[in-house]
Amino acid sequence: MNIITKYSVRFLILGLIQVLLLNQLEIGFGIQAMIYPLFILLLPIDLGTIPLLFLAFVLGISIDALSNTFGLHASSLLVLAYCRPLFFKVFSPRDGYENIKEGSSYEMGFVWFLWVFGGLLTIHHFWFFYMEVFRFNEIIFVLQKTAFSVPVSFIMAFILQFLIVNKPK
Amino acid sequence: MRNLFAFFRRFRVFLFFVLLQVFALYNYFTYISYPKSQFLTTANAISGSLLETRNNIVKHFNLEANNKALQAENILLRKRLPESYMKIQNQTFKINDTIYEEQYDYIAGEIVNTTLTRRNNYFTINLGAIQGIETKMGVFSENGIVGRVFYVSEHFSLVKSVLSENINVDVVIQPSGIKGLLKWDGKDPEVGFISGISNDYKILIGSEVITGSGSGVFPKGLSVGKVKKITSVEGKPLWDVHIDFSEDYRKLQNVYVVKNRLQKELEKIEFAIPSEKE
Repeated sequence: MNIITKYSVRFLILGLIQVLLLNQLEIGFGIQAMIYPLFILLLPIDLGTIPLLFLAFVLGISIDALSNTFGLHASSLLVLAYCRPLFFKVFSPRDGYENIKEGSSYEMGFVWFLWVFGGLLTIHHFWFFYMEVFRFNEIIFVLQKTAFSVPVSFIMAFILQFLIVNKPK
Repeated sequence: MRNLFAFFRRFRVFLFFVLLQVFALYNYFTYISYPKSQFLTTANAISGSLLETRNNIVKHFNLEANNKALQAENILLRKRLPESYMKIQNQTFKINDTIYEEQYDYIAGEIVNTTLTRRNNYFTINLGAIQGIETKMGVFSENGIVGRVFYVSEHFSLVKSVLSENINVDVVIQPSGIKGLLKWDGKDPEVGFISGISNDYKILIGSEVITGSGSGVFPKGLSVGKVKKITSVEGKPLWDVHIDFSEDYRKLQNVYVVKNRLQKELEKIEFAIPSEKE
């Protein structure tokens, strides 16, 4: 499949699942599942940071336009995209990223996926919930919301990854 | 000059990040207080029609429950018709005179999109400027109040729901008629708060909370919820009243928008109050 078609399809699938299903879901305990950061994680590893930021901005704004958050999703996704090269560098495998196309758990293994995607998701969720409340005296509530939401988002994104990523031969 | 270019080249990634970040956050924080355009909301044509399609598929799942609720409301209204009363005294009859003037008009609509987990939750409804919706109109359902219209486009409008921070609907606790302002703390979509009630009032748990008529947004007497718990505010002689909303916002589908025919007049007369200067 052409690389542009592949990523456009992922963009649409993840965006629509987020907007049409997960935004309407109210699980309780302040849990809000967000799976669209998976798109940024799965972009090619050698992609420069500027196109990465641009794509994050476009995806974030599209989600915002469909869930009345006026720029909050875009802001937190930009933070995630900005941190991605840093995480990739810190958790780089011994031989570097040669012959590796994308950061899925097929290619990188579950432990890598857990640290990198889990870490990025935590930053993303914390930024999102903190900017939404924007009061320091409710930091406990923000931390609690982050702690409950990240595992739910992570598990959902992990399962979804198997549906949208082809197993490399 | 060369140093400047070198600086830009060196920090271009960071500067690009800051630029986009400032745009996103600026848009977010200005929008909460004052909506400017429909570009980034579900009231724009593309988002609106996408969400309406989704709603057209999903709404059939709740059809039975919704029908039952509408039927129950019909029965209630039918009971109030003069035909369902037996004449006990032959002398009394209803006169349609000029003492009463119709003040409130209702427009029925459907919820297209909701959020519940945010700090400020907005509902999108499939009514817009074409149907005569204007900002600040009240929205309610058969079980309770829903919110106020926040932004209107041609075919859709955004409702700032009671599940948002500064909704401030004026409410009355029955039967004693204590007035207060309805608030929400951003946590549980089933529980709201009434603040600013002096602690020398006695409030019973389970008392009914209804809308007041002060602002003219809602007709008087719409159900809001029931008093659940009363806690005292630390250091102030005030009660914090927790209420259970009578509407379950997770299942909400059919709503009515209130059009107050006398709103303009009310605003005009209240505009004449001189503002206090210290």
